[in-house]
Amino acid sequence: MLFGRHVNKYYRKYWAFFLLGVIALIVVDVAQTFIPRFLGQIIDEDSILVDNLDELGKIVGFIMLCALIMFVGRAIWRLSIFRASTGIAAGIRKEMFDKAEKLSASYYHETKVGNIMNWFTSDIEEISDFFGWGTVMIVDAIFLSVSVLVSMIRLNPWMTLLAMAPIGLIIVWGALVDRFMSARWELRQKEFDRLYDFANENFTGIRVIKSFVKQNKEIHAFAKIARRNQEVNVGFARLSVFFDVIIEIILVAEIALVLGFGGWFVYCFASGNPIVVAGHPIELTVGGLFEFVGYIDLLIWPMIALGQIVSMRSRAKGSLRRISAFLDTEIDVKNPENPVKLENVKGQIEFRNFTFTYPGTASPALSEVSLTIEPGAHIGVVGKVGSGKTTLVNSLFRLYNIDKGSLFVDGVDLMDVDIASLRDAVAYAPQDNFLFSDKIENNIAFSADKPEHEAVVEAAEFADVKENIEGFPKGYDTVSGERGVTLSGGQKQRVSIARAFYKKAPILVMDDCVSAVDVKTEEKILKNIAEQRKGQTTILIASRVSSVMHMDKIIVLDRGAVVAYGSHETLMKESPLYQRMVYLQELEKEVEGGERRNG
Amino acid sequence: MDEEAMNEEKEKLLGDRKMSLRELLSHSRPYIAKEKLAIFLSLFLIAVNVGIDIVLPYLTSRFVEVLKGVIDNTTMRALMLIVLGYALLGVANQGIRYLQSMVLQKAGQRIVYRMRMEVFQHIESMSQNQFNQMATGSLVTRVANYTAAVSDLFTSVLVNLISNLMTVIGVLIIMMIISIQLSLWLLLFALTAGVVSFFFGKIVGKFFRQERRYISDLNAFLSENLSGMKVTQIFNQEKRKEAEFDVKNQNIRKAIYRVVMAFAFYRPFINLLYFGSIGVTFFVGLSIPLMAAEIVAFYLYLSRFFNPIQNIADQLNQIQRALTAAERLYSLLDVPPEVVDKPEARDVDSFQGKIEFRHVWFAYEGENWILKDVSFVVEPRQTVAFVGATGAGKTTILGLIVRNYEIQKGQILIDDVDITEIKIDSLRKAVGQMLQDVFLFSGSIRSNLTLHDDSFTDEQIKSACDYVNASPFIESLPNKYEEEVLERGENFSAGQRQLLSFARTILHKPQILILDEATANIDTETELLIQDSLEKIKNIGTMLVVAHRLSTIQHADNIIVLQNGEILEQGNHQALLKKKGHYYKLYQLQYADQEA
Repeated sequence: MLFGRHVNKYYRKYWAFFLLGVIALIVVDVAQTFIPRFLGQIIDEDSILVDNLDELGKIVGFIMLCALIMFVGRAIWRLSIFRASTGIAAGIRKEMFDKAEKLSASYYHETKVGNIMNWFTSDIEEISDFFGWGTVMIVDAIFLSVSVLVSMIRLNPWMTLLAMAPIGLIIVWGALVDRFMSARWELRQKEFDRLYDFANENFTGIRVIKSFVKQNKEIHAFAKIARRNQEVNVGFARLSVFFDVIIEIILVAEIALVLGFGGWFVYCFASGNPIVVAGHPIELTVGGLFEFVGYIDLLIWPMIALGQIVSMRSRAKGSLRRISAFLDTEIDVKNPENPVKLENVKGQIEFRNFTFTYPGTASPALSEVSLTIEPGAHIGVVGKVGSGKTTLVNSLFRLYNIDKGSLFVDGVDLMDVDIASLRDAVAYAPQDNFLFSDKIENNIAFSADKPEHEAVVEAAEFADVKENIEGFPKGYDTVSGERGVTLSGGQKQRVSIARAFYKKAPILVMDDCVSAVDVKTEEKILKNIAEQRKGQTTILIASRVSSVMHMDKIIVLDRGAVVAYGSHETLMKESPLYQRMVYLQELEKEVEGGERRNG
Repeated sequence: MDEEAMNEEKEKLLGDRKMSLRELLSHSRPYIAKEKLAIFLSLFLIAVNVGIDIVLPYLTSRFVEVLKGVIDNTTMRALMLIVLGYALLGVANQGIRYLQSMVLQKAGQRIVYRMRMEVFQHIESMSQNQFNQMATGSLVTRVANYTAAVSDLFTSVLVNLISNLMTVIGVLIIMMIISIQLSLWLLLFALTAGVVSFFFGKIVGKFFRQERRYISDLNAFLSENLSGMKVTQIFNQEKRKEAEFDVKNQNIRKAIYRVVMAFAFYRPFINLLYFGSIGVTFFVGLSIPLMAAEIVAFYLYLSRFFNPIQNIADQLNQIQRALTAAERLYSLLDVPPEVVDKPEARDVDSFQGKIEFRHVWFAYEGENWILKDVSFVVEPRQTVAFVGATGAGKTTILGLIVRNYEIQKGQILIDDVDITEIKIDSLRKAVGQMLQDVFLFSGSIRSNLTLHDDSFTDEQIKSACDYVNASPFIESLPNKYEEEVLERGENFSAGQRQLLSFARTILHKPQILILDEATANIDTETELLIQDSLEKIKNIGTMLVVAHRLSTIQHADNIIVLQNGEILEQGNHQALLKKKGHYYKLYQLQYADQEA
């Protein structure tokens, strides 16, 4: 059994299923134990039963009854125990997802998605397996072996004693197999991964290999790995066949031992001088002997299970530990004690000596930014890669904790704001134009519970993507992503803009999201921003000055600091850096022969 | 489309096609032919195993006969003989089983090895263009997984099928010999089990596919949403995502439970048949009447009867899957390599280094010309820089010289010899390529410099690194030349990767150099080291550079300015600047900043 804060509640939830399953298992275990007895009876009393078909009918009827009970019992334990184990898996999975939604950007910054995925998949499976098959193994190991042993001892304690030695070996062997085999299995997996990675790297870096004419060397290196795989696989097969064969040989020895001594006991008993041990004569018939053999047959599985339970449990424990650590992760971005709900947001934003350093990095991405964005202003942000543009706008969403007293929306300190109300007030079109694998309609209307089609069309028009969408055979029902239509970078960007616009938020932030669209489209979108976002705070990060020159004000960033803030006209007079950007942009147009490249 | 079909669609490669069974067999023959002996030997050993498996229950039943017969002083001897026989045969049986399994396993692994080598070599021989058209992942699956699946078909699935068939037939024959009447009864049960198993396999296969579909659906959802959590949080949509997740989560639970339910009927049902057949054995057996020993024999044979029947049903379902893998594998082997040596191509050991393009036209596909009628001459030992906007065709020119692709029109000559007259290997050995994105393999610094060529000495490696200024940073690493390189070299900076790429090239003693300079941001210190080493590298021989460094173009003997696949102007830095033409603007845009 496995315990821990995060699993105990499932015992309370599923105790009835476990109980039912365990009872069914025990019933099956006991019913199974009857069958060898009938075999013995048939052997011993065949001559009587031939003439007494009523009695025979009773025996066979009883066997059929046992068979039916087992049929029902087996069905029940599978249905109930696995109902619990799959339910536990689903429950833990849900808890984990709920947790994942509460964790902040810093957590995702530090933890690889691949790791979280592993907890969601293999670790949950390990736990679920333990609650399912693990339970079956534990119950069988205890009850089937007890039930069989009791019958064996009742039949003949001395024979039981004799039979136990080799059977004991099976437990040891089972434990050994599990330990050795899982190590070997890992080795085998490791070598396979090596082969896989080697081929993968070779094919990915094929240009280098061909340019240095190293195909033959690579083939030799691959041959070594393939050879090693061959050896390891043969080694694994040898070990696993060997373990199987040894168990079989133990069983042969066991049966030979039982038949040998048992035959002697039966012979002596039948010839009238039963062997006497410790004052008790051993009275064994041939039917009894075969009944005994039947019991041994039943004992093999629980003995093997007994050997394997320990390591299965330790694997499940490891998985539970990892999952518990995830579920117990502290949530760093959360509402303050008395959160201020933002209502009727005007859209004034003020940075006051704002400095931000990403968790785990040494130098700040932005330092000492002080500026005020008036309510309803349209603001452009320009600067080179790495100058802090994205950091500047990201700080508005409270994805990270920031210094108290450094950033205000409508005059309220961001660290005092109710996070949900803040996020309701801002809309965002990210740089990486991330879309969900869902219908375009749902992607655009992401901020609403139910998409309003007219508003979706309006938003698509705003982002100048309406014609593209309506050009798809399925229109707004087109599914984007791997399983559907692959949208171009520019189309994704525009859907992402539409998604942000749809929200009609008091503050709209667009992070360099017109880089992959052509000039005409960009102009249309800029025009739409000017008209339809009039009087609503809108911030546009751009890599080209032309995108932002008509905005009310432009923030020029360089190496994490604001170097200028003003209108295009002002900046053309006052900011050398801005002037240079404008100049280079003109040149770029000429060099590229007037053709703006896409992507 | 169900998941399997979709995955198969994704896994598809150029050249995949349907094959007839006959074609599949003729492709497989060479692999099997080599292991004929092993396969026949193991089939023979399997027959022996099956024989012993059938004899053992008989021996056990003899035990009953002896003990139920007249007990006299010969009885004990008879019993001990049986026990002895049982033990010897039982142990021998396991010995043979071990032998048989190992013979087969080894043969199977040899087949896998040979197939992997053949597929890998075949893939290595394909051209860059062919590589670009094939998904790396699918190629890897063919090398790693499909080879094993095909080998399994012959050494596991088919052999086991034969073994199970032999067992079923053998047991059936001996049961018939003992009692036809009872055997026919039991055959009824066995056939029921077989038919149920076969259809169960089909049904549960569907359930399994559904389960996998839901699981991969949830995994896709998770990885998408964990990566895009920022968007969900900014849009305040956690509740909605939670609801979406719940649906998928419950789908999985239900799908898994559907499999559970299928097995909750199937396994107990087979069990019911088994115990039912025991009941019938007792009842029919005694009413025939058979002797106790014979009933025991039947009882023992029954357990050897049901398992093979279930297995046969399962194996029939497996064969289809393995055949698909075989088809994929053989299709790939049938794709001929695109860029190959002409039969009359010759080896060239040393080049002067004159390079000439004569009216070269090139397109990656169709009429989409990347280079249009490009002609130029580079004299031996000259350094030529190619400049132009993205997409002008600079990098393409470099790739054509080493025949990564074949040109459609015109001629490329080295030392006045058409490059298609030269063996590809000698061409590429002579041309040292330093590519834009430096690809490092996981391994050590040494293995990345030598590329698994052990003929390089430590001195050679060190002097190459000295030459390109790479040794200071390498020697400052804890393990020096043995320092681990992670996948793609992500534990080294862009500048360090550049230096390693230079060292790798110099170590291989090129006579002509082509360099596609990286645009990545490189720290000042490393940048100076790179510039210094480029100065030295220039002296090795003819060098063609796609230039991003001011210092590179300033020092070039000739600069060729490209736009949209055509040469606009050429000349040296000063002359071109004076012209105030296209180069002048380009210079302002791309290089002037570097003067600061």
